Amino acid sequence: MSFTKNTGGKALDLLQNLPRITLANLRPEPGTKKAEKKRGRGQHGGNRSGRGHKGERQRGNRPRLGFEGGQTPFYLAIPKYGYNEGHSRRAQYQPLTLNRLQYLIDLGRIDPTQPIDLTQLVNGRGVTIQPQKRDYGVQLVGEGAGIFAAKVNIEVQMASEEAIAAIERNGGIVTTGFYDPRSLAVLCKPVPYFLSGQPIPKRMLPGEDMVPYYTDAANRGYLADPEKIQKARIALAQKYGYILPDISKDELFHMLFMRKDPRQIFFGLSPGWVVNMAEKKILKPTDDKLLQYYNS
Amino acid sequence: PTISNPNHARIHFSLSLPLQKQTLCSPAGEAKSGILAPTEEYTFVEQLIPPSRVPFPPKHDGPSPFGWTPPSEVPLAFPYMICRSRMHNVPVYTYLTHGSRKTTLVHKIEGDIWEYLQQLTGKDLPTQVNEVTMTIRVKGHFDTALKEWLVKK
Repeated sequence: MSFTKNTGGKALDLLQNLPRITLANLRPEPGTKKAEKKRGRGQHGGNRSGRGHKGERQRGNRPRLGFEGGQTPFYLAIPKYGYNEGHSRRAQYQPLTLNRLQYLIDLGRIDPTQPIDLTQLVNGRGVTIQPQKRDYGVQLVGEGAGIFAAKVNIEVQMASEEAIAAIERNGGIVTTGFYDPRSLAVLCKPVPYFLSGQPIPKRMLPGEDMVPYYTDAANRGYLADPEKIQKARIALAQKYGYILPDISKDELFHMLFMRKDPRQIFFGLSPGWVVNMAEKKILKPTDDKLLQYYNS
Repeated sequence: PTISNPNHARIHFSLSLPLQKQTLCSPAGEAKSGILAPTEEYTFVEQLIPPSRVPFPPKHDGPSPFGWTPPSEVPLAFPYMICRSRMHNVPVYTYLTHGSRKTTLVHKIEGDIWEYLQQLTGKDLPTQVNEVTMTIRVKGHFDTALKEWLVKK
């Protein structure tokens, strides 16, 4: 830069040339300070000081908030209904718009030549997930479907139909996968987990209520039948009116078809392995029972 | 159009690989021998480590699909300079206070900017100049116009 930072340039010049600043020289900008309203000092001697004439109002004895003079008040007349019941136990999915995803790819924070995982999104500071606050992952939202132009292999926890259509239109692949809270915490912050020295846990399968979602091909669930997913891709292309590009002839074919095993949290790393970051080694279990457990 | 897609490939790691056991004295029932795995598998771990610096954006010809334009290599000669933020964006921010009070803040200004401001708006808008933090706060939302104009510089 050809500019020297002249912090406070003109103001500093003024300060040096004007006389010393004291309280006597300072005054607030006209219009910023409005005079406070003083009670009991108005025309005709103030009289009631803005409290009205007699009664509970003037004497400061009004009943509690919500009281309607004896009529059953609103907050008691309306029956209870559990709209918010169990709200703190409901699963939350942080939204990720296609706008934001495109922005992250454009600025180089997310690499489209590698499969995009929740870990990659968190590393690129694209989303903030709080597994401890009932966040179960990320949901793809279709806002920005018009400008989206990136071929990606993305794995999220939920996706709207429009978002799936927009990604597949550009030759990408969407998958929805379930992560139980412990796996999600490991997925979002892998480095502190590895440093703790614990083995990579195996990902649990979804609960009863979410199994229909993840076995449905329309949601591109990871437990769904691949043939049905293919049919769903064709159906969606017909519904949204675009030609489904042939991915099998793509140069990034191998990367685009990388998927995780239902029990696997990270690409390339199996459950049961211990990662030693200090010595850059991976330890694998050999005991039969352990192998049986991690293999199941 | 019919597309023949093979079943999607799955990276399935079979844990029953023949592994070389090292002699380690470990208590019975908790045998876990340390094995030197090939370094290829550690590359997967390295991919998981978050970067500590903001990456340099890749090259685009003109505006990117999102609408982001990279800063010009040689900025045009003006008596002032407004640098990009850490995330390579134009430092113009809008605020909405009390539901109806709109302000625009232009940040990271260096040099003399007064002539341009008089040209941008036909009238003199209420402004607040903070020379120490190099910001100008203007009443009203001008972010789209300002960003378009600054992107050309």
